[in-house]
Amino acid sequence: MELKKDRLLEALALLREGSDVALPLPADDGGEPAFRLWDGVQEPFLGSNTSLPPKELLFPRSEGMYGYNLKTGELSDILPEARTAVFGIRPCDVKSIENLDHAFLEKGYVDSYYRARRDGLTTIALGCSEAARTCFCDSMGVAPGDAPGADLMMNDLGDAYSVKANTEKGEAVAKLWEGLLSKGGAKAPAAPACGFSVKADDSLPDRLTARFDDPMWDSLSKACIGCGCCSFICPTCYCFDIGRENRGACGTAFRCWDSCMFSDYSRMAGGHNPRPSKKERLRNRYLHKLAYFSQRYGATLCVGCGRCIDKCPANLDITRVMDMMEGVDANG
Amino acid sequence: MARPGGAAAAAKRPVAEAGPGAAREGNPLLPAMCRVIKITDETPDVKTFRIQTADGAKPFDPMPGQLAMLSAMGVGEAMFSVTAKGEDWIESSIKRVGLLTEALHGLSEGDMIGVRGPYGNHFPVDAIKGRDLLFVGGGIGLAPVRSLIRYALERREDYGSLDVLYGSRSYDDLVFKSDIFENWPAVCNTHITIDNAEERWDGHVGFVPSYLEEKAFSPENRVVVLCGPPIMIKFCLESLMRMGFSKENVITTLEMRMKCGVGKCGRCNIGSKYVCLDGPVFTMSELDGLPDEK
Repeated sequence: MELKKDRLLEALALLREGSDVALPLPADDGGEPAFRLWDGVQEPFLGSNTSLPPKELLFPRSEGMYGYNLKTGELSDILPEARTAVFGIRPCDVKSIENLDHAFLEKGYVDSYYRARRDGLTTIALGCSEAARTCFCDSMGVAPGDAPGADLMMNDLGDAYSVKANTEKGEAVAKLWEGLLSKGGAKAPAAPACGFSVKADDSLPDRLTARFDDPMWDSLSKACIGCGCCSFICPTCYCFDIGRENRGACGTAFRCWDSCMFSDYSRMAGGHNPRPSKKERLRNRYLHKLAYFSQRYGATLCVGCGRCIDKCPANLDITRVMDMMEGVDANG
Repeated sequence: MARPGGAAAAAKRPVAEAGPGAAREGNPLLPAMCRVIKITDETPDVKTFRIQTADGAKPFDPMPGQLAMLSAMGVGEAMFSVTAKGEDWIESSIKRVGLLTEALHGLSEGDMIGVRGPYGNHFPVDAIKGRDLLFVGGGIGLAPVRSLIRYALERREDYGSLDVLYGSRSYDDLVFKSDIFENWPAVCNTHITIDNAEERWDGHVGFVPSYLEEKAFSPENRVVVLCGPPIMIKFCLESLMRMGFSKENVITTLEMRMKCGVGKCGRCNIGSKYVCLDGPVFTMSELDGLPDEK
């Protein structure tokens, strides 16, 4: 099936009758494009991927967890009731949601806040027809033209989008759009290859951990200014802090994004810090992305979106770290 | 994508539905409101808090070595080992070192305390059945070890000889004085030391690692359970290796900064392991396989 491009806004408006709709949208003030709730009028920003990742649809920068009363001791959950359809999410970012699913939903404990938002999320992906100069998703096991993990997959056919449902949620959207869809759906043109590639095969985790004590971490970390930008814009970074805000006798416990690049992230009461300098923190971040997460969940925590390469103020580049592993013996 | 009005749309659930024992079914990050029913001053900066649910029950039933996330409401929460449990209570011994522990030390008996857990693995109580056990503690490090000492004493016939070797900076800094001077000497071997001589102290003087070597415990059929400051662990391990112990037979328990306690928030990792979930109990040979970031 296919959807003519001039009917896209109608299709999105139909979606908006039953849920919130998030789209890649430019910021009102000319800031970075990001996934934002659609007002029903704006045109989506589809020229390239967004600067900010879609993870906040599932894992907001800050979210209330529970309220409490300091006098009575009463506690109350603040579980979200989100129902959101996101359109225009790219295959790399769909893959990042699979990673977040591993982290928040597996290994014995299910994160209630994430679960509620995840259950209410429908992903309508758009395949890429152009690679940005920092894209390397095809090295990380992502096909730029296809997102099998998305509920509904769409590809640019010129004057229309092909529409293919992958899941029940996707079929429900296709049914909703029945009157707008037409037969057809020519095969989408082959997605472009990324401009460069890195070697990220199954031996990467072992090759990296074999170089845990390598002086390369000293030299790499010299450039890092510890700003945490890489974690903030990374679609798969999910670390969080838990804080509290009191107002009179009542208060709210909330969680917010955190970054392993900050010194107080792992600093204990009493002052001991297992990762005391930028060297240990940078090493931990790259190893978490490319080795530890794979060892724990069987998936690499980098989807090749290239955002961190584009935005790092110190020009640190995760693909350079992978390239430095070329020829390294996995057995040390 | 912060949805406005999150609090207004909040699904209110009564506290009782989400007791800490039901952590895996309910919201694992929601504490249950409990009460401090007894506070014992152990040392000038260590207090033991006995905790019970609001309706007089045990908050949860931990295995030796497991952890509890305790919160001073409105201030913060942190992870502590559960040092003892009874019919209807659990106990944690807490050293005053920072903002949260300062707030906990300010609590009085009857005050509210948030509790969630139990978290983490536990001492391998079955695998060490029939073995002689040597417990080595330094300072507040006796707290997690005490949960296993109590467990072994309650099942005395399951284990071989029991030795407790414990040291602190001074007499005042020795924790659990009624256990180490009265209760335990009656039922197991105790070896207590302090770092520097004091007029009122006629026991052993010296550091834990050298006392350990002086005692010349045989590695034959013996398991060592070791907990204390990192520097003490380092030197004790060297001593134990000299004495012929293998790393498989030396068990320790780690601490790291934690926020969630359920392997999500990220910060307590050592390599691909999370201390809150995969730990806190590790054998020294398991730690050898992890990056040196303890």
